[in-house]
Amino acid sequence: MFQLIWNGLFVGSFYALVAIGYSMVYGIIKLLNFAHGDIYMLGAFLSFVVLGGMTGILGIGNLPILLLVLLIAMLLTGGLGVLIERVAYRPLRGSPRLSVLITAVGVSFTLEYAVRQIWGPNPKVFPIRLSGDPIEILGARITVPQIVLMAVAGLLMWILQRYIMHTREGRAMRAIALDQKASLLMGVNVNKVISRTFFIGSALAGAAGVMAAAYYGSIDFLMGFVIGLKAFTAAVIGGIGNLYGAMLGGLVLGLLESFGTNFFGGEWRDVFAFGFLILFLTFRPTGILGERVVERV
Amino acid sequence: MFSRSTKRLKRSAAIAAIAASAALVLSSCSGGLASGGDEGEEETGPIKIGMLAPFSGSEAAFGDYMKFGAQLAINEINADGGIDGRELELITEDDACDATASVAAAQKVVTAGVVASVGGYCSGATLPTLPIFAEANVPMVIPAANSNALVGQGAFMINGTGAQQAEAALTFAKQEGATRVAVLNDQTDYSKDLAVTFIGDAEADGSVEIVLDGAVNPADKDFSANVKSVTDSDPDFVFWTGYYQAGGLLARQLREAGYEGPLLVGDGTVDAQFAAIAGDGFTENVFGTFTKTPDMLEGADQWIADYQEVSGGADPGPYSIQAYDAVRVVAQGMKDAGTTEGTAVHEAIGAIDGLELSSGPLKFTDEGTLTGGGFVIVTVGPEGDFILHDDLQG
Repeated sequence: MFQLIWNGLFVGSFYALVAIGYSMVYGIIKLLNFAHGDIYMLGAFLSFVVLGGMTGILGIGNLPILLLVLLIAMLLTGGLGVLIERVAYRPLRGSPRLSVLITAVGVSFTLEYAVRQIWGPNPKVFPIRLSGDPIEILGARITVPQIVLMAVAGLLMWILQRYIMHTREGRAMRAIALDQKASLLMGVNVNKVISRTFFIGSALAGAAGVMAAAYYGSIDFLMGFVIGLKAFTAAVIGGIGNLYGAMLGGLVLGLLESFGTNFFGGEWRDVFAFGFLILFLTFRPTGILGERVVERV
Repeated sequence: MFSRSTKRLKRSAAIAAIAASAALVLSSCSGGLASGGDEGEEETGPIKIGMLAPFSGSEAAFGDYMKFGAQLAINEINADGGIDGRELELITEDDACDATASVAAAQKVVTAGVVASVGGYCSGATLPTLPIFAEANVPMVIPAANSNALVGQGAFMINGTGAQQAEAALTFAKQEGATRVAVLNDQTDYSKDLAVTFIGDAEADGSVEIVLDGAVNPADKDFSANVKSVTDSDPDFVFWTGYYQAGGLLARQLREAGYEGPLLVGDGTVDAQFAAIAGDGFTENVFGTFTKTPDMLEGADQWIADYQEVSGGADPGPYSIQAYDAVRVVAQGMKDAGTTEGTAVHEAIGAIDGLELSSGPLKFTDEGTLTGGGFVIVTVGPEGDFILHDDLQG
């Protein structure tokens, strides 16, 4: 029982990290960024490249190196997120939402198959592997890397929460989410804030990618596809556009999957997860934490 | 006035477009018919041999392994003077391990005028191409795909079938003293087929109990749910029938969850990448059922060096040698038949007796499968590659 909860929370913390970016971008410009999962994949591949350049110092202490690589990868994926927004989404900001959605799908495929062209279709083995002897807690097997990764995920989310709720820049983001035009009239640099949102969201997805790569040990060009959809599901479950909702949704989805697969079998995992997506969209489209939106005329 | 003229212009443009497309369709049809029927022209040109393999998609790596293996055989035969003075030419098409893509690819190679097919990696993509090649009277030798669904459909299979592999797996499980066996597949055609056949065999045999029949999502990285159901069912033997990408991760996660018994994997997981993905120290007590590969053969060094010359330095992989063998089988059939005509070549291939392949001397059953399954048990060696463990001969 505790093992199930633990497995769910562990996977859920990855979902939560990716879902935050999804949710933030949606909250601010109402775009479902389907390329977000591929940023996660790029985080894994970029850190793979960075690690390849520093093979000499591997083995001295894997964890500090991994944290350094995590920071580098976050900067790179964050920058990439800004670039994607600038090249693919900003020129379309006035267009119908469907065009932007299709562009996002296009960006997703572009990234996936560019990575395939560069690194090949086979899974790559990540140079750093986090493993440790399991500890028995309440009958569940828990490893030290799992605890460290969850702590890192929690820390990143805490920093983000402080940033959005207690700084000027965070206030600007919340203002734009509320009413873009009014913020513009009040002198908020909307483009700059949107770029910053993409930077933060992409950096978090990149971080999740690095952590998953180091934990599971194998990376491939399609690894972002399913997690992108799962993050979307998590965002919807928690209440899309809502920061706490994304975190909660990630953990809830992780737990749902963990319990669902235990009762129905592993092959039902995605059926179960996306079934919940449909249920939520039908009966509570605003998610657990979302509030009913009143249309203002 | 203006609008009418544009309308007329549009209409005439449309008629022109229809006419042009009709002409295209007609010409391509007649081209296809001519290349199939006009023997005189074909007799002097190269003999075209088609190969469908995955060059894109999740199984893309295997396409190159097979292509270079087949090309090596073709180079050797051409260097030897070809068949009746005619050179062989390999025409590859991407089937992407996908039924829709493979049907289109099969039609493409048939239209290109191939007289034999030496492809087929994914069973699910190979199955729908059988009627296309049969209709075009193109004999098929399948190097890799080995689902039971392919048996008895008129194609020759030089990889052992799922049934033979399941039999080898059960023999090994009993040899290891297994009583409680957990079986996991990755929901692909090949993997499910192997799992179902194995479970059927085991139940008929009655010597081992199947405590779990599960499946994983191969796109996942986290198999904690599957691993938990395995440890909950408390097996003393685990049989994984899927491919190596998920297999490597699964092996590691099973060990981390505390399963210490033997792990047997099917030939889809027998790949050097398996150990790399699983990681150091996670490949103990791992075995695989496999048809022999070049590196397990006597005098393989020369073959591998030749292969690398064709591939531009890349090492051979799974099914390189089976693809190489498939071309040799087809060539032998054409030599014996003295023609490239489909029916005659098909019969000649069926009658081949004793051609030395990697899996041993060749003799087909009435259903087109190998009389000797050729499955052996391999295990992970110190270098991380699979080495021979037990040839199951006694």
